[in-house]
Amino acid sequence: MAEKKKMSVADILAAARKTDGGSAASEEPAQAESAQAESAAAPVENESAADASPKPTGTKSTGKAKPAKSASGGRLSVAEMMAMARGEKAGGTAEKPATKKPAAGKPKPAAKKTAAAKAAPAEPRDTASILAAARKSSKAGPMSKAEAAAKEKADPKAKAKPKIIVPPMPSKPAYAMPTPAAAKSKSKGAGQEERRDFLWVGFGALAAVTGIWSLASLKFLFPNVRREPPSKFKVGFPDAFPAGQVQTKFKAQYGVWVANAEYNGQAQIYALKSVCTHLGCTPSWLDAEQKYKCPCHGSGFYKDGINFEGPAPRPLERCAIRIADDGQIEVDKSRIFQEEMGQWEDPSCYIPV
Amino acid sequence: MTHGLTDAQFFEKVSSFLGPFYIALALMNGLAALYLWRSGQLKTWLKLAKGIEIPNAIVWLAVAMGFAILGAVAGGGMAESLSLPESFREAINKSTGPVIYSAGTTVILIILFFFREFFVRPAVAWTIWNLMWLFLGLSMTDRDFFEIVAKPDNVPIVMLVFLLAFFTWLGTSQAVINDRRKENGEPPMEKLDNEKVLVWPDLVYPELICMIALTAFLIFWAIALPAPLEEAASSVKTPNPSKAPWYFLGLQEMLVYYDPWMAGVVLPSLIVAGLMAIPYLDFNKAGNGYYTIKERMFSYSIFQFGFLEMWITLIVLGTLLRGPNWNFFGPYEHWDAHKVQALNNVNLSEFFWENMLGRSLPGTLALADISASLDPSNWPSWIAWLGGIADPFLQFFSLLFGRELPGTLLVLGYFIALPPLMALTVLRNFYKRMGFIRFMVMANLLLFMGSLPIKMLLRWIFDLKYLISIPEYFFNF
Repeated sequence: MAEKKKMSVADILAAARKTDGGSAASEEPAQAESAQAESAAAPVENESAADASPKPTGTKSTGKAKPAKSASGGRLSVAEMMAMARGEKAGGTAEKPATKKPAAGKPKPAAKKTAAAKAAPAEPRDTASILAAARKSSKAGPMSKAEAAAKEKADPKAKAKPKIIVPPMPSKPAYAMPTPAAAKSKSKGAGQEERRDFLWVGFGALAAVTGIWSLASLKFLFPNVRREPPSKFKVGFPDAFPAGQVQTKFKAQYGVWVANAEYNGQAQIYALKSVCTHLGCTPSWLDAEQKYKCPCHGSGFYKDGINFEGPAPRPLERCAIRIADDGQIEVDKSRIFQEEMGQWEDPSCYIPV
Repeated sequence: MTHGLTDAQFFEKVSSFLGPFYIALALMNGLAALYLWRSGQLKTWLKLAKGIEIPNAIVWLAVAMGFAILGAVAGGGMAESLSLPESFREAINKSTGPVIYSAGTTVILIILFFFREFFVRPAVAWTIWNLMWLFLGLSMTDRDFFEIVAKPDNVPIVMLVFLLAFFTWLGTSQAVINDRRKENGEPPMEKLDNEKVLVWPDLVYPELICMIALTAFLIFWAIALPAPLEEAASSVKTPNPSKAPWYFLGLQEMLVYYDPWMAGVVLPSLIVAGLMAIPYLDFNKAGNGYYTIKERMFSYSIFQFGFLEMWITLIVLGTLLRGPNWNFFGPYEHWDAHKVQALNNVNLSEFFWENMLGRSLPGTLALADISASLDPSNWPSWIAWLGGIADPFLQFFSLLFGRELPGTLLVLGYFIALPPLMALTVLRNFYKRMGFIRFMVMANLLLFMGSLPIKMLLRWIFDLKYLISIPEYFFNF
């Protein structure tokens, strides 16, 4: 049982077939001798019986069965082989030399199957256990490092890689050789080539359609909707903004505060964008503390928009503001003035009071 | 959540929670006592006169009884009596702030680390565990505390605190045992039982069970604590306070001290890149497959500082202690949207030029200024065109090395001068083992990590806003 590796079902069956074929070919007197052969002399077909008692399905052991098997081409079905293995077992010791001899006598023994079957206890077994017995060479399942080391020590050859024998490539037969005529037709472009060219028409059409479609879908990125309120809007007459007050009622709709307060000692009406210069949250005007306070990270701004606490790095931004022709204050959110850039000096970002 | 409830209604609500809560704690201690008794781990803790010995199981059983009594009291409608004294709560509110909180957690973590051999003992750990729950239960009767802790959004953070305490204890206790074994010349515990097991069923089956249990738990949670719905989103209205998802609250806390570009982009990317770089920077082969602290002291302490201190405690701070306008509120303090907290911050440049030298901030430089100082007639006409391109750069660098010079020198010194100094002094062995490039990468990652607490300290102590502040070019550090 010097099995190097586990066998697959195919391997086992192939080995079994080989052994059967071999024993059938060789005329063995020992096999003819056996008592069971006599009892099973009747010309029973191989398929007939599968019970445990010795019978002609033990093809190997009967002289009579031999012709029958050779007639069927020396190949057996799986069921037959299993039954045979069982019969062999039942045959007991008398069978042993018989099975051994052909195995030893053959140039290629492949006797794994017979050897395994012989070693097994003499009782009927099912397919699974026979296959398992044939396969089993070592403990199943994972093993510890210690076990692996022990196994390696016991079987040092197991580590050696099996040699891979590559069969030589068969030479190209004459009919597969490229003929000068075929080469010529290829270069010329026969009818086949024209049909293939038509594929390109298809691909071209597909590409064109895809291109037009994707162009059409681009349009969906620019829907016919106005998402923003108009950037220019009127907030009322200047006398609606008493000194020192921050008007918060435009915040919800337009996102600006309009305040009348001093900046650098000069009283002005100005519009501050209600977007925190830290990360863009919306601060709230806290009247009690007289500051704009951001709820996200706690940045704080004075009434004139100058940052003084928290992480905001620069003052709030101003929007353009002017007195429109009708006397109302008009805020233009599209123009932004930043203090740190010195843009608050621009007269279009405040209305002097 | 408790708005519009009278005090009586509120205590009724709390009672219905606290009754089962204390009963569960009683069960927990009872099971612990049962486990100690059945597994034969009884130890005599107290010796009374006349040879009566009191083992640990009896002590925990007594604790269980105590919790059961608390449960009866709380469930019986007397929850109000089970609260921390008002003066104690006031004192906690008064004394806490971002500084005390951060410094306090740091000190506690350092104490836990240095005396870990004591704190990982099962009896000590179990006592602390019980005290944590007891503290939670006693605080629940405070209206403001209940409001914050029992909010469906915040429940996972409370769970996180307890889970993290448990798992940190679990890992640390294993490491302490292994370190002790190592000192005695024994292999670590994990090496004793290194039999391999089958994936199926030993791994897949527990995984399946966990999956089902977790799904059931999530369904139960979703039914019991429904996610709160808020008003419709509006681009001009920000909820106050406005909080990130809980796992980003550490980042949000970082944003209080840093420019958004720095705290929102650079530092998070460096966190990810740094974590990815650890396998390449680590040269210590010890600790592979088993818990240990002593063999990996540097890695362990740096990681725990980064994780527990700079991530978890900031999440807890952001969730439970940051209120309207991102002000700090004590655990028993009412979230008053009009709390005044003066935080007048100054940039280093203003501090240096105006306060120390008593002069105005230096201005910027443009190409036209240089050309004007020389003879303008010598300059060709393309100088104006060149100025259009070069002026922004000129202006930026003149700000960087002019107005912001002190901050620039500090930051450059921090990132350029410190790594070689570290290589020569404290981290000499690291430099030898790691080589130039790996050491420099590690040193810079460490310095970036350290820059956050340093910046927090500067903000708290000096009201410093930015070291380098160039808002003209969105460059603030």
